[in-house]
Amino acid sequence: MNRRVALVICFGFGVVMFAQYFSKHPLARGVNQAVLEYWQIIFAFALLLGVVSFFQNNIKQIGHGSDRPYRTVSLVGLLAMPVAAVIGGIGAGSPFLWIFENVQAPMQSTVFALLAFFVASASFRGFRARSVPAAILLGAAILILLSRSAIGGPLSGWLPDTADWIRHHPSMAARRAILIGIGLGSLTTSLRVIVGIERTWLGGKK
Amino acid sequence: MNRVVSRHWIFLGLFVLVALTMGSGIRLDTPVSDRTAELYNFIESLPEGSMLLVSFDHEASSLPEIRPIGQALLRHAFRKNHRLIGMALLAEGTAIGYRLMQQAAAEYGKEYGKDYAYLGFKPQYIAAILSMGESIPATFPEDYLGRPYESLEVLDGVATYADVAAVLSIADGSLTTHWMEYGRARYGVRIVSGVTAAMVTTYDPYLASGQMHAMMGGLRGAAEYEDLIACPGGGKRGMLAQTATHLYVIVLIGLGNLSYFLARRKKEKR
Repeated sequence: MNRRVALVICFGFGVVMFAQYFSKHPLARGVNQAVLEYWQIIFAFALLLGVVSFFQNNIKQIGHGSDRPYRTVSLVGLLAMPVAAVIGGIGAGSPFLWIFENVQAPMQSTVFALLAFFVASASFRGFRARSVPAAILLGAAILILLSRSAIGGPLSGWLPDTADWIRHHPSMAARRAILIGIGLGSLTTSLRVIVGIERTWLGGKK
Repeated sequence: MNRVVSRHWIFLGLFVLVALTMGSGIRLDTPVSDRTAELYNFIESLPEGSMLLVSFDHEASSLPEIRPIGQALLRHAFRKNHRLIGMALLAEGTAIGYRLMQQAAAEYGKEYGKDYAYLGFKPQYIAAILSMGESIPATFPEDYLGRPYESLEVLDGVATYADVAAVLSIADGSLTTHWMEYGRARYGVRIVSGVTAAMVTTYDPYLASGQMHAMMGGLRGAAEYEDLIACPGGGKRGMLAQTATHLYVIVLIGLGNLSYFLARRKKEKR
């Protein structure tokens, strides 16, 4: 019974949201706006749920003694940011913005920058021309790398042109095929969910 | 053991290279590409005082690449006396966007509330984009600092995308796709973007089809844009390091392949 109610709600919303897309009637626009507001509210609650879950999980793990220093730092950070925002605001010169700019942003940039080191290491150890397709991939990668640096153009006029040709023809053709595939897949999956053929979102049982 | 040692030398080499090139202060010339020029010409061609919606759709991790892109675009827009509305579709982009707008505005003597406003972050990006198409004030009843929407002079008469010349998405991921799929397709707003180099090929099909109006890509794009607006910044500063790193990677690929083929030949001889 419960599953049937959920299926009916899903079908109803699916049909209404599909139909309103093609209407400029104030009622249709009002329904759209209301549904979008609820969507955002639900998402905000999902964020809250994530925070609560993160907090509970870390408290539990600290109790078990696993990674205690790291988890403590996580929880202190989790609590410090909203407290700083409530006390000092979020505008220019606030402690919240200072912590964000001087702690969080540099830390995240640092972690992301580590990728460059792994790429450099992987390029030496893994990027080998073991076969003809691998050699073609390697050649294309080198061309693109050169074209995106400042010496691509001055080195040779055909270098940026060739790199652009790779981007605008073989690469774009492959990407378009993937995008069209994703689009068709999304369309069919949505239709299957709306009409009730696809029911795994209800819990997996038929 | 040898692998670990070689990896450490590779890491050290990269660190020294980046430190030296960033510290050298040398700025390389970067010929302006057609793509970057298109974006510049678009912003340049808008009538003075046009309304631009700038969306900071990125995280803090890509800041070294995103900051020069954002700075160059904001400087150009403020220099042309366009009115700007800032917002973010990712929580982390919120504070970064606010700061970038504030700094660029200060350089050109722009006043908050009169020349620009910052609406802040809205969760669930698809819902946010669609909702703004119905009503921007209903989606953002208050700005980032909690002031009512109606109290900001710059937002007078701005109700939907119809009142905006273009959406400028500064992104390090696929969020610009949603602007095109929902903002452009549903409400017809023009989308222009400044994206990280890794995302350029993702957006090439949209640019070629006209779904995206113009795009600037990566640190290279930022350096080119800085040349166009004659205002050097992080893009120009980082180009030498980026170029040196690219060459370093190419050399490593060459050395790796050389050692691979030598080892293979040795094996075959046996």
